[in-house]
Amino acid sequence: MAAGDVLIICEAGTGQTESANARLVATGVAYAKNTGGRLVCLLMGHSLGSVADELSRFANEVRVVESPHLANYDCLASLGIVRAQVEELRPELVLFGHTYIGMDLAPRLAARLGVAVASNCFDLTVNGGAVSFTRPMYRGRVTAKVVLESRPMIATLQYGGTELPAATATGTLTAIAFDPAGDRRIRPVKMIEPSRDGIDIAKADIVVAGGRGIGERNNYALVDQLAAALGGVAACSRPLVDMAWFDVDRQVGLSGNTVKPKLYVACGISGAIEHMHGMKESGIIVAINTDPDAPIFRVAHFGVVADLNEIMPALTSAVAAVKAGRPNTI
Amino acid sequence: MKILTFAKHVPTSAVTPRIADGHDRIEEDGLAYEVNEADLYAIEEALHQRSAHGGSVTSVTVGPARAKAVLHVAFAMGVDEAVHVIDETARGTSASLTVAAAAAVARDLGPDLIFAGIQAEDDLLGQFGVALAEELGLPVVTAVTEIRIEPQARVAKVVRELGGGFKQELEVDLPCVLTIQFGIRQLRYTPIMAIVRARSRRIETMEIDAVRIPPERRRAESQLRVVTLAYPEDGGHCELIDGSPVQVASKLVGKLVTAGVV
Repeated sequence: MAAGDVLIICEAGTGQTESANARLVATGVAYAKNTGGRLVCLLMGHSLGSVADELSRFANEVRVVESPHLANYDCLASLGIVRAQVEELRPELVLFGHTYIGMDLAPRLAARLGVAVASNCFDLTVNGGAVSFTRPMYRGRVTAKVVLESRPMIATLQYGGTELPAATATGTLTAIAFDPAGDRRIRPVKMIEPSRDGIDIAKADIVVAGGRGIGERNNYALVDQLAAALGGVAACSRPLVDMAWFDVDRQVGLSGNTVKPKLYVACGISGAIEHMHGMKESGIIVAINTDPDAPIFRVAHFGVVADLNEIMPALTSAVAAVKAGRPNTI
Repeated sequence: MKILTFAKHVPTSAVTPRIADGHDRIEEDGLAYEVNEADLYAIEEALHQRSAHGGSVTSVTVGPARAKAVLHVAFAMGVDEAVHVIDETARGTSASLTVAAAAAVARDLGPDLIFAGIQAEDDLLGQFGVALAEELGLPVVTAVTEIRIEPQARVAKVVRELGGGFKQELEVDLPCVLTIQFGIRQLRYTPIMAIVRARSRRIETMEIDAVRIPPERRRAESQLRVVTLAYPEDGGHCELIDGSPVQVASKLVGKLVTAGVV
């Protein structure tokens, strides 16, 4: 094993999460600097465009596997590629984004190699020779510091809002021939692209989102009314999509949309990790929830611990009054 | 169609667990537990597939004695049989031991399909289904949101999430493992009396020490080690606003106006 070497598995192309790459690059660069090891980036897909060139400005080497076959994520083929690279490069650390692909591949790789994986990590720290990871547990109500005692260490990292480090490398680009997996028991058929015919909540300046705490369907009118008063759009968290109240185009979070409005109002949303992932970069976050321990308050700028049914009509009136030029007085 | 569906007993969503004195685990005393939500969707989907294709659904849990409550809920929802692997030592918190025990049960029962929720709310690892499939040498598809079985062809046509609204359709050979995403179909209401009645149903139980687990799997449990648990630091910037609804609304709107977002 090459001590200190780190392999990051980046993404590019349709249905892949390119936005996770910055986090992987930043973490990989810092890690390699700390350990004196090499940073190698692996990119698999089709029509990868300039992403490989861009990554080579940060890594010692970018290994690229490009094939039309990889246009539609193929878990078995991808696993075969990653595994072969890990066995050849023998890195100390393998990092994936905490994307749907990372969540799929990382545990597969770990199982094949007989090692453990720390998924969903906020961060990793190197202290002397010891590497530890921080990750959420118990729905994000507790944060765990964990260590991986097997090698290579495998982890998936949460992403979003990461600044890229200074581009100082001139890494080599290495094309790796695509070798289709021998195991064909899982066969990708087609990619299903999201329908974007409704409101594009990702582009809105103000988003008011309702969650499970809304209770009954009729109560969602409170969200609509506040959104209308603010001149924003109404959105939701996953449970409301699961209950078939809305389609995924209204959903904020890992499975739906990542939003970064100037104002985000979370109504009856407790703040599952997957939800926060999609809104934590918002300018001002207001959270309204009956549970003072709800994780959403940790990312909020303003919090109200109250029943939505009481607070929201008052809030809508107050907003309407200010918009109408009336003084905001109690 | 013989379907095995795994479910975990996890601390209830409504409370923040208390961290025990050693800071490396939570205090179980006085903590309320419930069925892991994603696993409820897995059970619901299994029952749906049984109505479409016949066969049976067996629900399995690995955990301490209290975890049998999971199986009462599963019976109340409509499963045919239930298996409880009793783990009083790791108490269901060792990912690798749980997988090894689950694999042993699966090998004995030889199902066509194995379902598990996409992720457990306690460890948030999201790797049980994948690790189980790898242990069994079966194909696995994660984050599944639709399943159509073709029993004659021994194939499942499934849709899985890729994030950002993207999905993917795949074909997978049976037997296989599918990790079930929230909302795959609506959970039907389970009357509390049905859960109470289910307490008299027969659960097949076995001690985890009696399950055939290769010795190296027992050792593997220390590979991911929790060093410390802590309550998350907040962003440090949440200003709580209190008062009557009208006061709160006025104060909040004032702050939003000052911040320039209203």
